[in-house]
Amino acid sequence: MIEVENLTKRFDGVTAVDDLSFTVPEGEVLALVGTSGCGKSTTLRMLNRLIEPDRGRVLIDGLDAAATPPEKLRQGIGYVIQGVGLFPHWSVAQNIGTVPRLLGWDRARTEARTRELLELFGLDPDEFGPKPPAALSGGQQQRIGVARAMAAEPAVLLMDEPFGALDPVTRARLQEEFAQIQRRRGITVILVTHDMDEAFRLADRIAVMDQGKILQVDTPERLLRGPREGFVRQFVGLDDRALRILSLHRVSEYAHPASGAAPVGQWVGPGDTLREAASRLIWQGGDSLPVIDGDDRVVGEIRAADIWRVGGRGA
Amino acid sequence: MTGRLVPLGLVLALFAALAGAPGLFAPALGLVAEPGQTVIYDRQPLWLLAGWHVVLVAAAGAVAAVVGIGLGILVTRPRGAEFMTLARMASNLGQTFPPIAVLAVAVPIVGFGFEPTFIALCAYGLLPVFENTVAGLRGVPATTREAARGMGMPPGAVLARVELPLAAPVILTGFRLSTIINIGTATIGSTVGAVGLGEVIVAGLQSGNTAFVLQGALLVALMAIAVDMALRLPFRSMTRA
Repeated sequence: MIEVENLTKRFDGVTAVDDLSFTVPEGEVLALVGTSGCGKSTTLRMLNRLIEPDRGRVLIDGLDAAATPPEKLRQGIGYVIQGVGLFPHWSVAQNIGTVPRLLGWDRARTEARTRELLELFGLDPDEFGPKPPAALSGGQQQRIGVARAMAAEPAVLLMDEPFGALDPVTRARLQEEFAQIQRRRGITVILVTHDMDEAFRLADRIAVMDQGKILQVDTPERLLRGPREGFVRQFVGLDDRALRILSLHRVSEYAHPASGAAPVGQWVGPGDTLREAASRLIWQGGDSLPVIDGDDRVVGEIRAADIWRVGGRGA
Repeated sequence: MTGRLVPLGLVLALFAALAGAPGLFAPALGLVAEPGQTVIYDRQPLWLLAGWHVVLVAAAGAVAAVVGIGLGILVTRPRGAEFMTLARMASNLGQTFPPIAVLAVAVPIVGFGFEPTFIALCAYGLLPVFENTVAGLRGVPATTREAARGMGMPPGAVLARVELPLAAPVILTGFRLSTIINIGTATIGSTVGAVGLGEVIVAGLQSGNTAFVLQGALLVALMAIAVDMALRLPFRSMTRA
């Protein structure tokens, strides 16, 4: 749990972060979104004291961050940095083991944890562990960046544009992977991004920031349905909000029971979003699609009327 | 690696032969000598002069390295940034001031011999080490440094385990340049009585003995080439890592 109270930072007379207060309950993902220079990165960096606030305080699990020596504080908080920042002269395994070594874990424990994390992110420990970061693709480097932040099993993870500079396909796959890992481990995450889609995909709540202030904090759906006038409305974007709302819901939530043989045409899986279902339904025509599970069995159907209702203003 | 060790071995062998058994080269050196001149310098053994030359350059190199790297680290720390201009001025001055002028100033203070030459070489060798240390440390990507701090590394560990290893190839290049320049520059020490290979060259110039000049110059050149090759070895393996 992270509590931020009246956090303020000025640089050369310009207020970067202005009297900010918010709370992130345990296990929640909070996204800080806004344009460049809105103060979101500065806010994040004040949480692990890479920047010292002028005023206000940060409580992590009830403990005042200012009362902990900065190095000790940072060793307990995972930090995924914009641009990854892997140590180029160390192997992938050494990179992941950075914080465990600082914490004085013994060799065997560090090694076991490193292997576990590489496997968690779908990378073969024997193949990738000894490699230098330069031998990895961009997507693999980002994975190592996240794995390194999670190495000492921190309860809190701070992420600054963690999946930037990747192609859309790789980014979506990494976001999906990360979302699964985050839910399974129950890590509390504060994510800084300027990418609204990333925020919608990963966050439980989204805080829209402008000029050092939070203008609105809400769940993705409430932000889409009721954005405040002005900057929030402009930043969230209203053109495709019905589709964005649909992408927040899974087929399994709205499927009706049905059974039968696997059809030849379009179908959806229970874990697909309603947005994907809508797209296939438009392509197919008609008013329902079969839902098929991993074993190729029809487990239900999803109806157009339900999809339109979920995406509509009245829902 | 072995491909680079063979030429280094050849240069070292040639240097050792010329310094230790110059008689072997007498027929060749005799070609440039006037009739009746001594062909091989005989007032001091060449190996002894070469040895003192190495001691002089190595001692000055050690000081230039410690001071240059130390200053470079200091001015790239947040708290030392204000010393940047001062340190740069001091090291520039050491390089611009001709070593011979340093000798002229140092002799009245510390006397003739090893010491004034040592001081001149320290001053002369400082700039390349200092400038390359600053350039190397500044070349460490900001994201890498930010990551190290963000992981909770104490400032000393960020320097020792991240910044210096990444800057090492550039720093070593500066040290290599500084050392090979000083191997040549050390010859002027003989004008103030420092024992070294300059003595052979100066004696040759004074008595019009080209064979002396040639053997002194050859030894200095071989030493510089050998040191240059040797200091490129770790540089190679570091950039590969």
